[in-house]
Order: sequence, then structure tokens, then C-alpha cells
Amino acid sequence: MISVKGLKKHYRVSKRPPGLKAALTALFRRSYTEVKAVDGITFDIAPGERVGFLGPNGAGKTTTLKVLAGLLHPSSGEVQVDGHVPKRREDAFLKKIMLVMGQKQQLLWDLPPSETFELNRAIYEVPRAQFKETISELTKLLELAELLGKPTRQLSLGERMKCELAAALVHRPKVLFLDEPTIGLDVSMQTVMRDFIRRYNERYGATLILTSHYMDDVAALCPRVVVIDKGQLSYDGGLDDLVRRVRPEKRVVFHLSKAVDRADLEPLGQVVSLAPAKAVLQVAQDRVAATVSRALSSLPVKDLTVENPPLEEVMSELFARSRAAREEGQADGESEEGGGEGDWE
Amino acid sequence: MSVRGTLRAAPTLLRVGFAEAIAYRAEMFVWVLSTTMPFVMLALWTSVARDQPVLAPGGARFGSADFIAYFLVTFVVRQLTASWAAWEMNYEVRTGTLATKLLRPLNPIVGYAAENLSALPMRFTVIVPVVVAAGFVTGAAPFPVDPVLWLAFCAAVVGGWLLTFLANIAIGCLALFIQSSIKVMDVYLVLFFVFSGYLFPIQLFPPWLRGVVDWLPFRYQIGLPVELAVSMHDRAAAFSLLAREGVLVVALAVLVAVLWKRGLRRFQAYGG
Amino acid sequence: MLVRYLRLLWIQLRASALLAAQYRSDFFIDGVIAIFWATTALIPLLVVFRDRQHLAGWTFGEALLVSGWFVLLNGVLDGAINPGLQAVVDHIRKGTLDFILLKPADAQFLVSVSRFEVWRVTTLALAGGILGYAFHQIGHGPSFFGLASAALLLAAATVLLYSLWILTVSAAFYVVKVDNLTYLFSSIFDAARWPSSVFRGALRFVFTFVVPLALMTTYPAEALLGKLEGTTLVYSVLGAAAFAFFARRVWLRSIGRYTSASS
Repeated sequence: MISVKGLKKHYRVSKRPPGLKAALTALFRRSYTEVKAVDGITFDIAPGERVGFLGPNGAGKTTTLKVLAGLLHPSSGEVQVDGHVPKRREDAFLKKIMLVMGQKQQLLWDLPPSETFELNRAIYEVPRAQFKETISELTKLLELAELLGKPTRQLSLGERMKCELAAALVHRPKVLFLDEPTIGLDVSMQTVMRDFIRRYNERYGATLILTSHYMDDVAALCPRVVVIDKGQLSYDGGLDDLVRRVRPEKRVVFHLSKAVDRADLEPLGQVVSLAPAKAVLQVAQDRVAATVSRALSSLPVKDLTVENPPLEEVMSELFARSRAAREEGQADGESEEGGGEGDWE
Repeated sequence: MSVRGTLRAAPTLLRVGFAEAIAYRAEMFVWVLSTTMPFVMLALWTSVARDQPVLAPGGARFGSADFIAYFLVTFVVRQLTASWAAWEMNYEVRTGTLATKLLRPLNPIVGYAAENLSALPMRFTVIVPVVVAAGFVTGAAPFPVDPVLWLAFCAAVVGGWLLTFLANIAIGCLALFIQSSIKVMDVYLVLFFVFSGYLFPIQLFPPWLRGVVDWLPFRYQIGLPVELAVSMHDRAAAFSLLAREGVLVVALAVLVAVLWKRGLRRFQAYGG
Repeated sequence: MLVRYLRLLWIQLRASALLAAQYRSDFFIDGVIAIFWATTALIPLLVVFRDRQHLAGWTFGEALLVSGWFVLLNGVLDGAINPGLQAVVDHIRKGTLDFILLKPADAQFLVSVSRFEVWRVTTLALAGGILGYAFHQIGHGPSFFGLASAALLLAAATVLLYSLWILTVSAAFYVVKVDNLTYLFSSIFDAARWPSSVFRGALRFVFTFVVPLALMTTYPAEALLGKLEGTTLVYSVLGAAAFAFFARRVWLRSIGRYTSASS
């Protein structure tokens, strides 16, 4: 469905350093820096897959999405989406895809969302009957009935985002790019959006690529994740695998009937937190069983659970590691070009 | 913030503003292009006056040379007195930037003023060549010989800047009440173009309109400085006109103070 | 294809009408501004003709014809062309132009028709009034051929204005703060109030070839008076077509260069 080979996107940006003198100098002599937003990425995505793009800010996720949507021309490399080359922006291609950006909106600000739907119907040449069906379905699933007639500017952020998503789906895109679709939404609204997106994917077999800062989005929606860092692909596979690899340890949470000493816990594993009635230990995966049985025999345990470390933590550790690796590389005076791939693995 | 504190911050404000003006030089260039109307008017009126001077309703006569001087100075005065504070305030009210600015221990109005004034050096890079070229073309600098009128001209420019800036702030303050005052600014701008003497000397207006125009702030923004520069008035007339300008400045300042105070109260109560 | 674009145009017009109904007072103010602007602009004309019969070969009635035609074109500009320019400027600033580019229809078309100011129709009525009064001053109406060629020139002028507009918008891709662009456009256009023969030297060249204001108001007025030469008419239409072609190329280039703000 989607195939990306050696994708690179480099920008030339003029530097505008702060300060008066620098500003004056910039008048006469401009210095440019080359930004390697995407620097050699390769992956394939099968029809109907749901893939999450992860990476720190400025890692190149959005740039990759925009290249896939045909908004940016790649500096080099091959990109194909359902047999089309995105940068040609053929109508047939554009009718198959959609990009939803959580921070930007396409709804007409002063008119009700229904007007935007109508406009998109005409632009995408959706047959009237199909349009009606889609809208009534979307209205039911996203509970839009009361929103459709109000001017967009009067809607809350969550309501607006629901309508935004609906407007993006009027033409039933086969490929959906979602850039931070839940940004700024409260937790219950995030769940609504997530459920709806999954349902859309299952019902129409649409391929889905998602970037998000909320790990829960990715965990709930994407069986497969692609980690992009510094414009390079550093992981591609299942989310569980990724977690196992970054943090091979599990967390064992003990609920205690009376307080214990830290010294009693330390032989069992690394103590993450200790409260009078609750202790959290971090233990290597293959030692979980042994630790649990030892603890049960030596500590006043009421109850216990075994958990994965929180995703957010895994991710920040992952990015911290790659940053550390990069800084080390720079300290050695080496350029990180080409060598960055999987450097933490 | 105290007056002293503001003064201490002023050099930094001006320096940052100047750096910003340099960074946005392309935008400034576009703006300068959009203020070239006086040159079009110059070409137009000089050719109108080529065969015979234009007879103003008040009896004054405008020859080609008069128009050249008038419109060159008009261009210069516009560069010196222009302000965009109304648009900025509208933008900042809409985006919520104003709310964050209010948290700083510096009155935002001072910030707008500093930003405006610090763009002046960049604008001078446009003004100076124009004045020099004008001197070559007309053979004489279109500025008064009488030193008293010179001072009057300078005072009138300062007054013109104050009027323009305060009017901008006043309209910007309206955005605190009605969300967007861009439309008000549009109305103001049209009145400004017509009644300020920007398109033609206000002496060309029919007498009944002159009475109205003399008491509107617009002609003091552009017209008065220009008229003083081309020695259209004697000393006595100059002083009485300057006095009127002063009255208008004070009146606008009071209006701004009231609007700003009330607007802020409303803005903070409703969160914009 | 054509039907589809006509349908899109219709939908956008409808949306604009809805908007105009919503913001009646705003649009009303715009209408009043336009009328005020158009009428006060006649003052210098009245002053100039107070003590003379001719200005650069034009009588009062004839010069009024040019002014009337200017008001007419200004209505077209403010009602149909400038709002779209503002829309692109807004899109670029907010970074939402991406949505337009993602649509399976011509981006230039989509931005061009995205906004109309319906209330500007009032200006057209005013223009009709001025033109009528001008003909009353002249003493006779236009010939059929004059009307036909004026209509043709109106079409050419609209194409020209639109092309200039596209060129201005293309600049918006290179400059960051673009609020001034709309003002730039209208301030230059303002010189078209006067017969082009008033201008001499460099400005005359500029207004004939670079920013062809002569074609927009002076030639149509001449056509209405039956003074326009056939060759001028032909050149005008060809020139407008060439301008349109050039603007389209520049637009495509700018779009190709466009890279959205966030990476």
C-alpha cells in the first residue's frame, strides 16, 4: 500500500541569530544551515495496517507524513502510496487520502460544519447517496447531530475536532494520515476519537498512519510502531517488542499489610518507590517468578501485580538514550550521518 | 511599572524592536511600496497644473512646483508618523498574546510605542534618498527657511505621530470590547486618506467641508506638518494650528486612557 | 470538468451569501466605505474642472466616465478578487494552505473562489449612477459597438486584475508578514481613477505596460466614447491573456516552492 525507500528531505534555512549585531550582519551576509528533517527512511505498510510514528519533537514525523501526502517533495528517495507517486498530486491520488492535523483546521470558521461537508462533497465528487450515508453514519458514531448546524466558531475544541475528523472522511479515504489528532483534548474525548478511528479502519479497511504525543493513542490504536529520531528510522515493529527491548524489566507492585524497610527490599530488585503500604520493584523479566516467590515468603504481602513500565517512561528513556548516543558521537568529533541507525540497539 | 523602570527598559526595547525591523525588512519594503501614493498624486497633480495652476476654492493657487514640494513632504511625513498598533492589538487580542503581555511588568502600550519608534531608522533609509533626490529635482529642499517654522514643523510631526499612534491604540482598545475592531480601522483609514491631505491638499476641499476637516484629527496627522514644511502658513497661523493639534492630542490621550482601563477590566473579566 | 468547477463556484458563492447574512453590519459598513471612497474621490475632479474645460484632452464628462469605470472595477476587485487574496494570506499565516493543496481540484481555483463579498454589489449600482451622469454631461449615449468593446475590455481588465492578484499572492509565499500586500495592491490601483493621458514619462510607461491601469479604465472609457482604435482593443485582449498565462506560471512555481512552516 505504502512503500518508502531511502526517503530524504533536507531544507536550507537561513540562520537568524538573536542580537542587533547579528541582525545587521545578516543584512549583508546570510548564513544557511542544512536541516536534515528526514534522512534516509525505508519502510512498507500493508493495506489496512495501523501504524504509529513515534519520535521526539522535530524528529521528522510530520515531515514524513507531509511527503506521503504529497505536500512536500522528497529531496531523494522513492515514495509510493497505493501505486501513486504522492508529489505528482494527481486527483485520483488525492481522492484516496486525507491528512488530519490536530493543530490546524479546515472547517470554515464562521459557517456550520455541514457547509464544509457539502463543500468537500463537491470537491471530492462524492455521489449524493453515498454522501448521505456517510454523513448519517458519522453523525451517529461521533454524536454530531447537535453540532452540525452551529457555526464552527461556537464549538468547543473537542466538538470541533470531531467535526474536523468527519469532514476529513466525507470521501471515505483509503489512506488516513493523522498528525496529533487528539492534541489538547480531554481524556474522555481522546477515547472517543480513538475508538472511532479504529472503527473506521476496521469498517473500511483503511490504512492508517498516526503520530501522537500521547502514548496511549499509539498503544490503543497501533499494533505496529515506527520510531523516527533525528530523521532516521530507529525501530520498526510491534509496540510490545519495543517496550521489551528498551526496558527488559518488569515492575512488580506489592501491597503490604505493614511497612517494611528498604533494606529488606533491595536484595529482591531495584526499588522504584516505597510507601508504607506499597512497594514497587523493577526486576529483569526472567527473574520475575523467583522474585515473587521470595517476596511472598519473606514480606507481609497482601496482594501483588506485575506490570510493564509506563509507556511514557519507556519513550522518554528511549529518546534520552538516543540523545546521549548522539551527543557522545558529537563529542568524539564524528558526524552522525548514516551511522545513527539503531545506535542504541 | 514605574516611569523610571520603563525608561530603564527603553533602550533594550528599542534595540530589540530595531533588530526586528531589520529581520522584517522585506515586509517593510512592501509597506513602503504601498505608501508610494504621494508620488502617483505628485505626477497627477503636476500634470494637472502644467497648463495652468489649480485654483483652490479658498483662492490659493497651486502650481506644479507647489505640488512637487507638497507630495514629497507628504511621503516623508507618512513614513515618520505611520503606526500599525491597531492591527497588532487586534491580532494579539485574538490570539491571546495580549493576555501574556499583560503579565509582564511593562505597559503593553509602551511596548507598541517602542516597537513603532524603533522601526524609524529603517524607514530613514527610504526617506533620506527621497529627500536628497527631491532636492536635486526641485533645486531646493522643500523645507522652511524660517527657523521658527522649522521648529513648528518638527513639533507638528511629533504631534502627528502621537495622533496616529493614539488613534491606533484607541481603535485597538475597541477590540477589547468587540473582539475585532479591524472594520473600525478600515473606516478610520478611509477617512484618514481623504481628510488628512494625503491625496490632495485640504485647501482644495470646498469651504463648507474645510470647517469640518479643521476639527477632525486627520489633517493634523499629515496635512499640518506638510503645510508647515512648504511654508503655507505664517507664524501666527502656525501657532494656532499647533495649539489645535495639542488639544486633539490631549483629548485622544484621555480617550485612550479611559478605553484602555475599561477595556482591560472587561478583557480580564471575560478572558477575551 | 467545467460543470464540476461551476458547481464548486456555486457552492462557494452560496457560502459567501450565508456569511454576508450572518455579518450583515460588517458587510454593510464595507458597502458604506466603498461608496464614501468613491464619492470623495470625485472631489479633486470637481476642483480641477472648476476653472478649466479640458484636462489632458478630456472634458469633465469624459473624465467622469473614467472615474465611473474605476468605481465599477473597484467593486469587482473588492467584491470578488481581494477577499480571495486575503483568504490565501490567512491560509499561509495559519498554515492551513496544506488542506487546499490536498484537495483533488485546482488549488488556484479553490483559493480564488473561496470568498466573495456579496454586499459590494452596491458599488456597482453607484458606478452605474456615475456613468449615467457622465453620459448626461456628454450629451449622448454610447454606441452599440462602443458598449460591446467596453464589455470586452471589462472582461480583459478583470482577467488582468486577477492575474496581478495572483502575482501578489505568489509574493506571499516568500514574505512572512503579508498584511500589507492587500493595501499595496489597492493603493497602486487607485491611480486608475484618472485618464492615463494625464500621466507623463516613466509613470505613463508603468501604467500602460507594467501595471496596465490604462487598459482597465481609460481604454473602456474611450471605447464607450467611440474613440478607441481597433488595434488597441486587440492588443489589450492579447495582453490580458499573456498576463494571465504569466501569472499562472508564477503561481505554479510558487506552489512548487511552497514548504509549509512546520517540518
